[in-house]
Amino acid sequence: MEKRTQNTKENIRKLLLRLELWFAPVLIIAPLIVSMIFLQEWYSRGVLNGSSAFDGELFIGLIILFGNIVVDVAFLRSIRLLRKKKNDQHSL
Amino acid sequence: MFFSEMTTKDALKITKRRMSAYQAELIERLNAIEVDAHWFRRAFHTFAASFLVYYLLPDEEWITVTKMVIPVLIVAWMMLIEYERIRGGVDHQRFFGLRSYEKKRPAGYLYFGVAVLLLFFFFPQQIAIPCLLCASFTDPIIGESRYYLKKTHAYGLGFFVSFVFFAITWHQAELWVMILIGCAGAAGAVIGEGKKLRFLDDDFMIQMLPAILVLILWQSLLLIQVDILPPPFIFPV
Repeated sequence: MEKRTQNTKENIRKLLLRLELWFAPVLIIAPLIVSMIFLQEWYSRGVLNGSSAFDGELFIGLIILFGNIVVDVAFLRSIRLLRKKKNDQHSL
Repeated sequence: MFFSEMTTKDALKITKRRMSAYQAELIERLNAIEVDAHWFRRAFHTFAASFLVYYLLPDEEWITVTKMVIPVLIVAWMMLIEYERIRGGVDHQRFFGLRSYEKKRPAGYLYFGVAVLLLFFFFPQQIAIPCLLCASFTDPIIGESRYYLKKTHAYGLGFFVSFVFFAITWHQAELWVMILIGCAGAAGAVIGEGKKLRFLDDDFMIQMLPAILVLILWQSLLLIQVDILPPPFIFPV
């Protein structure tokens, strides 16, 4: 029982030190939120008022959205591949 | 009564045991996740495009002050961390995704941060926006396409993408201005990415070199009474 508690504590300590795991969700979610803000600004201030002055927000929103989706997909796929590789190594 | 109290206690004990077992398993599973440093760095680059939200922030007085103070504090904090890391105060292993040559010098993220700070404070948004987009997207595009294309083709692709970023931002300017600025900015971005310097990271150069080139062009033409700067691209809320 004590050994298990010790293991859990060790795992928690490791997890806290692994900053990349804490950063990963931010790297994925923040750009998506920001791109939505840009697109929303373009829609509310530009489209609804019939003004093309806010097309910059549209361009930036789309660039951030698509640019990040492409990289995020590759990033998440790399995590899945590494996990698969690890599982394969364990099963051998 | 006694029987029901006992079962409640037992149920609580069992639930607690199950919860801690579940927690331990979850933590173990999380720890088992491996992150690919290569794609982590790429994701960090594209994430940086989110900083453009800076230009959407309103121009009210207290927000303007906050817009000045917070970026400075973030970069100062990054400098402190890097100082501690290089000095040995913070373990190098804690910095995931650092390159081997970054062990004894400031890491790329600090150069990136300093360049973004300089762009925000000293350059108009018409210059800062495409430069930041180049650092966020052109850098990873050149890096990735180098695996599939010849080096010159990879840089050609990088030039084209950077040109598009400058052309979009300057689309309200006259055609010759858009082409001139597009070429100058894209050339600066590609040279900044390609030229490896010992003390200056490419994450800094890919932003500052095109910014300085375009700034010089704009100011030089101003001397002969030609203002090429188009209207702002993003408007504060």
